[in-house]
Amino acid sequence: MDKDLPSEKATESPITGAVVPPSLASPDAERDQLGEEFELVTGPARSLRADAMRRLRRNKLALAGLVWIVLVILVAVTADLWAPRWLGDPVEIDSTTAAQRMLLPPSWEHPFGTDKLGRDIASRVVYGARVSLIVGVVAVAIMVLIGLIMGGIAAYYGGIWDAIIMRLADVFFAFPYILFAITLIAVLGRRGIENVFFAIGFLGWPSIARVFRSSVLSVKENEYVDAARAMGASTPRILIRHIMPNAVAPIIVYATMSIGGAILTEAALSFLGMGVQPPDPSWGNMLSDARAFMQSAPHMMIFPGLAILTTVLAFVLLGDGLRDALDVKLKE
Amino acid sequence: MAPLLEVDDLHMHFFTRDGVVKAVDGVTFTLEAGRTLGVVGESGSGKSVTALSIMRLVPEPPGKVVKGDIRFKGESILGLSDKDQRRLRGNRIAMIFQDPMTSLNPVYRIGQQIAEPLRLHKGMTRKEAWAAAVELLKRVGIPQAEERARSYPHEFSGGMRQRAMIAMALACGPDILIADEPTTALDVTIQAQILELMQEIQQNTQSAIILITHDLGVVADMADHILVMYAGKAVEYGVADDVFYDPLHPYTWGLLESIPRHDVEEKGALTPIKGQPPSLITLPPGCAFSPRCAYARPECRRKTPELVEVERGHYSACLFAQDTDFIAQFENRVVRVGAEPRRRG
Repeated sequence: MDKDLPSEKATESPITGAVVPPSLASPDAERDQLGEEFELVTGPARSLRADAMRRLRRNKLALAGLVWIVLVILVAVTADLWAPRWLGDPVEIDSTTAAQRMLLPPSWEHPFGTDKLGRDIASRVVYGARVSLIVGVVAVAIMVLIGLIMGGIAAYYGGIWDAIIMRLADVFFAFPYILFAITLIAVLGRRGIENVFFAIGFLGWPSIARVFRSSVLSVKENEYVDAARAMGASTPRILIRHIMPNAVAPIIVYATMSIGGAILTEAALSFLGMGVQPPDPSWGNMLSDARAFMQSAPHMMIFPGLAILTTVLAFVLLGDGLRDALDVKLKE
Repeated sequence: MAPLLEVDDLHMHFFTRDGVVKAVDGVTFTLEAGRTLGVVGESGSGKSVTALSIMRLVPEPPGKVVKGDIRFKGESILGLSDKDQRRLRGNRIAMIFQDPMTSLNPVYRIGQQIAEPLRLHKGMTRKEAWAAAVELLKRVGIPQAEERARSYPHEFSGGMRQRAMIAMALACGPDILIADEPTTALDVTIQAQILELMQEIQQNTQSAIILITHDLGVVADMADHILVMYAGKAVEYGVADDVFYDPLHPYTWGLLESIPRHDVEEKGALTPIKGQPPSLITLPPGCAFSPRCAYARPECRRKTPELVEVERGHYSACLFAQDTDFIAQFENRVVRVGAEPRRRG
């Protein structure tokens, strides 16, 4: 193999103290030898994350989604500072004026109009955003947590664990989603927002588990996982440190889209009276209230409906953009 | 004192749905500090499984050691607890993998990855380990190591990644370095550099190397001993010179004949070994190599040969290894690899 080594006298390498042929001894000569490799490595180190951010910034639709989400979050977080004062209390009914103020169409004073009890709809939509965002984020967090654990175990340990977990997931898929959620909330007793979190999270994990499982299965085959084991890393360390970061991209995408789905589910449950209970506002129960006045006061339905539509759409667009941004294979 | 590593009649079988795959079916060798063992054979001959068995990285089930032992410094490593195994892995026994393009984790910086075994085994802080990683990168010949340590794997070329892998394997100063086809995925000039680097490192650190390859040319200048494997069995084992200059098994001859050489006129075509390696579930009766062996005799189909010491320290698993007339057939045919005396070091 190395019979054809240069025959000049070998010298001692300054770095390793080992006897190496002169062609490798001085840094300059080394550079010549590795010249071809040097070409490839010039330019600043750029991480995958920076790459993804750059690609996301170029996607106008995803960016629009992100801007809308940030806006909704800002509005929801700061609601207490301005909404009651400028728009009116979202819950309290002023009995002295309620009769004159009910079902008013949009105006300067009430930009989204008022409802059948004279409450400002804009204010209720703003407070409804709180409910929707909290439900979306917490429910998806529960769902992702269970899904990651289940999917990770199924994929990494395989065999009987895989079979048990994935068949359990199939059972979950076999039930009609909303009916299952309603039953679950009924069984849990008290109707309230906590039960909505729990129901959505508990019912949603199988999709996350499936996506994560297939992702881990493909990442697991990489030689760097073997290398990590050969390095003496323990199983939890390999799963968390070496597999997770490489397998989590589809989960980020899926979870983002699921937030939209969870907001929709919460709206549906509240619409059916299983979610947030009156008088607290939620986009779903506002729609429910609006049913009776669909023709006489369509603004009651339009604004909460628009809020649901735009917010869910924003999450889906962002998720879509993230998918393109995180997909290494799509590199320009 | 006990030798550094003893593999004693190792049988690693895989129990699959299709039957028992006898991936390693009787392999014995010893390895002393500072020495290099070349393990040679075709794909599926059991080379890699032997290596993974030493690392205790064979998934069990389906794998199982049905017979034999592996001893590190005189102590069996088969019965070790998970935790004790991990203490050996990457620390006392380290491994370099075949494909440097996929054996580094794309989400971490090169320096972080080289630092990881140090943090795992030596309890170094993040900072100490990083400094050590930069030193290691210098040692494996990566220029501008401080900056390069901050690079991600995709910014390294194949040769540089394999250097980084070597640095990672060397981090804890292992007693044994197992290199599983470390140069197969690299082009020829880089191959030579990587082999040279491994030799240089061995001289400095006195670690033993197990070099696994299907290319006899690769082990020619590095190995002290050579183990030739076929269908899970050791078919020839001995000092490198003996195996190269006086091969005692037709399979070794076959491998030698199939290497392209620059010291012979290029008239004749290379002589391949005909046929495919057998299925490890249903081995042919008798000598597993007999169906492909150009010199097979009827007895070969009936009697299973054992690995026997034919000359001092030179073992062969051919029924006719002691038959000088049989051996002479090849003496006439084989043009030896590297007919000139080899230079070492």
